[in-house]
Amino acid sequence: MQRISITVTLNRSTLKFDEAAYQRLEQYLDEAGRTLDGNPDQAEILADLEQAVADQCLRRMGPGSGVVTLAELQPALDEVGSVQVPGAPPASEHAARSATRPLQQVSEGAMISGVCKGLARYFGLNVTLLRIAAVLLLFATGGGLILVYLALMILIPYAPPERGGAPIRWLPARSRGFVEFLRAKLGAATT
Amino acid sequence: MTAEAKLAPIRKGLLEFLVLKIVGARSAYVLDILRRLAETEFSTQEGTLYPLLSKLRREDLVLYEWQESGSGPPRKYYRLTEAGKAQLAALDEYWNRINRTIADIGH
Repeated sequence: MQRISITVTLNRSTLKFDEAAYQRLEQYLDEAGRTLDGNPDQAEILADLEQAVADQCLRRMGPGSGVVTLAELQPALDEVGSVQVPGAPPASEHAARSATRPLQQVSEGAMISGVCKGLARYFGLNVTLLRIAAVLLLFATGGGLILVYLALMILIPYAPPERGGAPIRWLPARSRGFVEFLRAKLGAATT
Repeated sequence: MTAEAKLAPIRKGLLEFLVLKIVGARSAYVLDILRRLAETEFSTQEGTLYPLLSKLRREDLVLYEWQESGSGPPRKYYRLTEAGKAQLAALDEYWNRINRTIADIGH
């Protein structure tokens, strides 16, 4: 019986892998590629890593044994280690945090109720630009945007108080009190 | 929290400085650098080193030449550029200043 193997060219070395090892290798390189997404040197780093993995596998294979299995590949990958981009972790942490944050109104530093601030945070926009767009739209709609704003103000929940955030001004504090009063009334009316 | 854990971010930040120091002493390929670091607090892996070297090359601090290895494929030998030497000198000086500050403070 002959073991089925896959021939892989890793940068400048050509090796044969069995199925399981090939899948593990693909997984490692995919992950490395994702970590390096947007890095201008992605192709170069991946080529270097491919070579490093190939060298590590070759060093672990006895002379004459032709096919790389998980027994050689896994320690080789452990030795090379997963890709670490210099100074990167905060970026991915930040992305994960803002992705899981729901749409909420932000009272701290708000102008009226915190709708614009909440939308800007949720969609990753500049809040000042968003406010300017809202004012322009207010005129363009002949004041109709006020109704949209009121609806959003009542519908979008408020973010929990922020420690170290900007202070809450008079108007946002009042409008929040008003919305909470209204919600309580509506809640009482529907139950 | 152990001392090692407390100073982990600083260690991480110093890796670039140490790599510049190593390739500044004599041109080296990746396994040379890894072996030199392996005996120290800065032991690291190829997965960390290659992205760092690519960054340094992009910043014009190091450059590399291919050299035949006798066994296996040719290797990239890294060395400092003029800008790299200047950067290393600046880092060395600043690090010495920090060390003096740490030594002097509290006296």
